[in-house]
Amino acid sequence: MKKLLSLLLVLLISVSVFAGGSQEAASASSAAEPEWVSKGTPLADVRVRQALRYAIDMDTIVDTLFEGMAQTAVSLTSPGDWLADGLNEYEYNPELAKQLLEEAGWPKDYTLDVVYYYSDQQTVDLMAIIQQYWAAVGVKSSFRKLEGDLTSQLWIPPADMVNGPSEVKWDIAYAAIAALSESEFYDRFESTATNNSSIPYDAKLDELVQATRASADTEVQKAAFKELQKYISDNMLVIPLYHQIAFVYTSDRLDMKGNAVGNDQYSYEKNILDWTIDSPDGMMYTNCGPMEFYQAPNVNPGQFPYQEFLFDKLVNADASLNPTGGMLAESYEVSPDGMQIVFNLRDDVTWHDGEPFTADDVTFTIEFYLKSPGLNAVALNTFRAIKGAAAYADGTAESVEGVTVDGNTVTVTFERIDPNALLTFSQWPILPEHLLGSVNPVTAQQNEFWQHPIGTGPFKVSETVLGNYAILDRYEGYYRTGTGNIQRIFMFASNENDANLIKNAESGQIDYAFSKNVTDTQGIELLDNMTVHPVNIRYTRLFFVNEFPHPANIK
Amino acid sequence: MVNFIIRKVLLLIPMMLVISFLIYAGIELMPGDAVDFLLPPDALATMNPQELEILREELGLNDPFLIRFFNWLVGILHGDFGYSIQSGVPVSTLLANTLPATLELSVAALFISTLFGTLLGVVSALKKGSIGDNILTVAGMIGVAIPQFLFGLIMIIVFVFNLGWLPVGGRMTPGHEAFFQRLDHLILPAVVLGLSMTAGVMRYSRASMLDSLGKDFIKTARSKGLPEWRVNLLHGLRVALSPVVVLIGFRLPMLIGGAVVIEQVFQWPGVGQMFVAAVRTQNTPVIMMVAFFSVLIVLIASILIDIVTALLDPRVKLS
Amino acid sequence: MNSKSLNRKMDELQRKEKAGLLETSNRSRTLRKLTSNKLALIGAFLFIVMVFLSVFAFLFTQYDPNAIDLRNRLSPPSREHILGTDQIGRDVWARILYGGRISIFIGVGSALGSALIGVSLGTYAGYRGGWLDSVIMKISEVMISFPQIILVSLLVTIVGQSLWNLFFIFILTGWPSMYRMARSQMLSIREEEYIQALKAFGIPRYVIAFKHMLPNAIGPTFVNITLSTAMFILQEASLSFLGLGVPLEQATWGNILNIAQDLTILRSAWWTWLPVGIVITVFVLAINFMGDGLRDAADPTQVG
Repeated sequence: MKKLLSLLLVLLISVSVFAGGSQEAASASSAAEPEWVSKGTPLADVRVRQALRYAIDMDTIVDTLFEGMAQTAVSLTSPGDWLADGLNEYEYNPELAKQLLEEAGWPKDYTLDVVYYYSDQQTVDLMAIIQQYWAAVGVKSSFRKLEGDLTSQLWIPPADMVNGPSEVKWDIAYAAIAALSESEFYDRFESTATNNSSIPYDAKLDELVQATRASADTEVQKAAFKELQKYISDNMLVIPLYHQIAFVYTSDRLDMKGNAVGNDQYSYEKNILDWTIDSPDGMMYTNCGPMEFYQAPNVNPGQFPYQEFLFDKLVNADASLNPTGGMLAESYEVSPDGMQIVFNLRDDVTWHDGEPFTADDVTFTIEFYLKSPGLNAVALNTFRAIKGAAAYADGTAESVEGVTVDGNTVTVTFERIDPNALLTFSQWPILPEHLLGSVNPVTAQQNEFWQHPIGTGPFKVSETVLGNYAILDRYEGYYRTGTGNIQRIFMFASNENDANLIKNAESGQIDYAFSKNVTDTQGIELLDNMTVHPVNIRYTRLFFVNEFPHPANIK
Repeated sequence: MVNFIIRKVLLLIPMMLVISFLIYAGIELMPGDAVDFLLPPDALATMNPQELEILREELGLNDPFLIRFFNWLVGILHGDFGYSIQSGVPVSTLLANTLPATLELSVAALFISTLFGTLLGVVSALKKGSIGDNILTVAGMIGVAIPQFLFGLIMIIVFVFNLGWLPVGGRMTPGHEAFFQRLDHLILPAVVLGLSMTAGVMRYSRASMLDSLGKDFIKTARSKGLPEWRVNLLHGLRVALSPVVVLIGFRLPMLIGGAVVIEQVFQWPGVGQMFVAAVRTQNTPVIMMVAFFSVLIVLIASILIDIVTALLDPRVKLS
Repeated sequence: MNSKSLNRKMDELQRKEKAGLLETSNRSRTLRKLTSNKLALIGAFLFIVMVFLSVFAFLFTQYDPNAIDLRNRLSPPSREHILGTDQIGRDVWARILYGGRISIFIGVGSALGSALIGVSLGTYAGYRGGWLDSVIMKISEVMISFPQIILVSLLVTIVGQSLWNLFFIFILTGWPSMYRMARSQMLSIREEEYIQALKAFGIPRYVIAFKHMLPNAIGPTFVNITLSTAMFILQEASLSFLGLGVPLEQATWGNILNIAQDLTILRSAWWTWLPVGIVITVFVLAINFMGDGLRDAADPTQVG
C-alpha cells in the first residue's frame, strides 16, 4: 500500500526525494588481515572501542559545553554507593587512541555511521564536538538523526545472538538510559533481553547479569553490580559519556521547611503540606502542567510533579527513593524470605470525588497495570513476579492468584524474588476502580479520565485550560493536614522541556520547578530571586556500539 | 451572481476531497506513526516491539490506509473530526480551544497592519519623493526583511525584561480572563505580527493613492478650486481604499498559517502551535483538521475576493 | 504632483535640451530606469558584495567554519575572531560567510528553479491552452490553497530534513505562482496581431511561445524571482526556528541565528546572533530593493 501511495504522490505532486544509498560490503583486506575481519566489523575489536573513548576529552566537554552541570561517566552507574571502585577511567589520551587503532588495524577509509534521536542544540553540538575528536585520531564519522519508529531502528536483536548478523544498520547509537533502579541499566546486556541489538552472547556476561537478581539483600546486589560494571568497562561493551544532573529551582518566596530535594522524575516525600509561601492567596507556581492531557503513570509514574500531588501510593519514599513507611497503607510487612508483603490500608482515605478508597482499588490497580502496554520495566518485573500474574495476563485466570484481600488488608505473594518490589509500590499510584474499572487498559491514556483525573493525593484538579495552565486545589478530605499554607498550585503547561521557564522565573512566576536542561539552569543561576539545587539522578548518556557483524553503512 | 456563487461552492467539494486525500496520503508517507511519539524516546528504548503492536491495533493504526481515510471522511460528514491520538481529546474540542486564540491574534494583527499600513501609505503618497516618504518606505521594507522570530525575541527582551511593561508569553493569567484584562498579553505578539504585515499594505495603499491622485476626477475636483486636503481626503482616499479592501481579503488565508512562528515565540496557545506539535508527533487527526480548515479558509476567501471585486468594480462581470 | 511643478519640470527639460545636456543613450529604457533608481542600485551592490563574500569565503577568513575550540567558546569579538565565537568556539564570521553559501543557494536556487518550471509550464500551457493547461492549473490551485508554512512543514516531515529536500520542497511550493504569472502574461499576448501573424506563417507553436512571447514576460518574471528569493531566505530561518529546517549541524544563516532561542545567549552574547540577523535582514532588503527597481523599470506607465 505504501508503495502504491508513493507512486500516486509522485505523480500528483512530483516529489521524489529519498535519502539513502546502496550498501556495499566493507572494503577488502590487505596482506596481513586484521583480526576483526573475521568478526564482520572493526567494532568487534575491543581496542577499537577503547580507542573511541580515549579519543574523547569528556572532562573538557563537561567543563565547557555543559558548564560543569554534568559528570563525566566511567560506568553507567552514577557516582555513589553502587559505583564500582578502580574502574579504568579512559582519560583523554589521543596518542594511546591512535596506537590502539593502529594495533587493531583500523580501516582508514571506514566511516562510522552514528545515529541519535534528540534534536536539541546541545545534542547537535556534542555530536559535532565528538566528530572532531574522532577525526583527530583518524576516525571518520558521519552523524544522522533517526526519524520515525525508533524501537525498530535501534533495538531489534539479531536472530542469532552469537554470530549475528546485526538487525540494525548503525555502527554507533547515541542514547540515554534513565533508570529507576540499577537493573534498568544492566538487564539489557543479557543475551535474552528483548532490546539487546548490539552486544553478542557472552556466557560470562549473562552469568554476571543474572547474579544481580539472585538476592533481595542490597549488599549482595551491590557487589554483583560492581563486578558486572568492571567486566563491561574492561571490555568497553558500551561507551559511557556523561551522567546528567537534574535541577530543582526554588524561589525565595517559598520555604520548604528543610525538606530535602530529590529526583523529581519520581515520587518522594516532600511534605508539601508543611511548606509555606509568601503570597496572600497561597498560590505556588510551577512548570510542567498538562499540554493536552494528564499523563497516565504506566511508563513514567512521576515525571511531572502533578502526578505526585494528585496520587498517593501504598508506600512512601525518601528523597533517595528508599522506601520509608506506609502512605495509603498504614503499615506494611515484608516476610523474611521476601516472598510476601502484607499491606494494612488506612480506613480514612477518600478519592477526590468523595468515594471511599478500598482494598479493591489495590487489586484492581495491580490487574490494570498487568494489562497495560508499555509499563515501565521495574514495575513490570514486580507485577509479573506476583503469583498467578502470567495466568492473569494471558487471560487464563480471572484474577491474580497472589493478591488476596481480607477487609482492609491486602496480601501480595510472589512467585520469585523481586528486589524492587517496595520501590514499585512506592512509585506506581493506586488508581480508582470506580472510574477506570470499565476502561480498556491498552488505550486508557486516551480515556476522558486523564483530562480530569481523580486521585487520593493532597491536591485535586481544579481547573485545566489545556495548552495554557492548570490549577490544583488543596483537597480538604485528605487524611493528613500540614502546617503550611499552600492552597493552590498553578502549573504552566509545558512538556519536559519548558521553553518559557526562564521567562516565567524572571517575572516571578515560578516558585518550584524541575528540569534536566543545562541551558535553563545556566539562565536561572543568573536570577537573584531563584535558587538552583542540583540533584544526582540515574540518567546516563552513552554510545551503544554495534558489535554484531554488519557491512559498512556509509561507503 | 447567485449562480456564480453556487457553482464556485460546488467546485469546492471535489477540490477538498482531493486535497484531504493528498494530506492523508502525505501523513501516511511520514516515517513512523503516532505510536512512535506516544512515549518519550528513552521509554521506547525499553519497550519490546510486540507491545507497541498491541497499541497500534487498539488505536486502529493497523487498518489499511484507504479504510482509515474512508472512516475519517465519513466522520467528517457526520461532523465528527476524530480524536487526538495522543490524548483522546476530540479534535473539535482542541480546535475550539485554539482557534479563538489564533483568530484573536490574527485579527488584531490585521487591524494593526491595516491601520498603520493605509495611514503611512497615504501619507507617503501625498509627500511622494520627500525624505519622510523614503524613510517610511525603507522602514516598511525592513519590517518585512527582518526574520519574524528574531524581531519577536528582541521585543521580548526590550519590553518584558528591560522595561518590564508587559507580561511574558501565554494568553491569559488566571482570574483575568476577560478580553480587556488580558489585552496586555496580546499586545506584543499582535504588534510583531502586525508590523511584519504593515509594509505590504503600506506599499499597496501608497501605489493606489498615487494612482487615484493622477486620475481625471481629481484634476476636475482640483480645478473646481476645492481645498487640497478635501481633494486628497474625500476623493483620493476613497478610491484608493477599495483595492486595500481586496488586499485584506488576500490576508484572510493567512489568518491560520501566518501566525505559526509568532505563536511559537510567544507561547500563544493557538492553532499554529498545536499544528507544529501535531506534525512533530504525527498526530494524524489533528494535522488533518488544521490543514483541512486552513485550506477551506483559503478557498472560501478566494471566492469572497471574487465577489467583492465584482461588487466594487462594475466592469468585472462574474460568469 | 501638481501642474506647477509639472510646468517647472518641462521648463527644466527644455533648458537642458537647448544646452545639449540631454544625452541620447543607446541603453535600453528599462536599464536606464533601473540605474536611475538609487535604492535598486544599492540593493544590487549589496547583493553582489554578499554573494562575492560567500562564494570566495576562503579569501576573507582563515577559519574553518566547523572547527571547534571548546576552550575558546563564546568569546567576544577580538582581533583573532572579528565577530567572536559561538557556543562551541566556532568562528562566527567564518560561519556567516560559509553559511551564506547554503542560504543564498537555497534562496536564489529555489527561486530560479521555481521560475524555470513555472515559467516554462506557464508559457507553453498559457499559449496552447487545452487539457494540459487545465490540468496544470488545477494542480497549481491545489498547491496555492495551502498556507505556505503549513504545506512546507508537512512536506519536510514526509521527506525528512536535509538541504536538498528543502531545496526541492521550496521549488515544489514555489512554481505555482510563477506558473500563474507567466500564464496570465501569455493569455494577454496570445491575441496580439503579431502572434497571429507568426501563426499564419506556420511557425511551430513552441517557437512562438518561447521565442516570441516569453521575452515579454521577462520583466515580471524577474520581479517574481527576487520576491521568491527573499521569501525563501526568510522561510529557511523560520523553519530552523521551528526545528524543521536544514539539519542543525550544517551552517546556514537560519541555523546560526537559531542560537538566539537560548535566552541566556540571546542576552549575554549578542555577537552570536545579531550579526547574522543583520546579514539576513540586509540581504532580504537588498533583494527587495532590486525587485522594486525592476518592477518600476518594467512598468511602462511610469516615466523614468
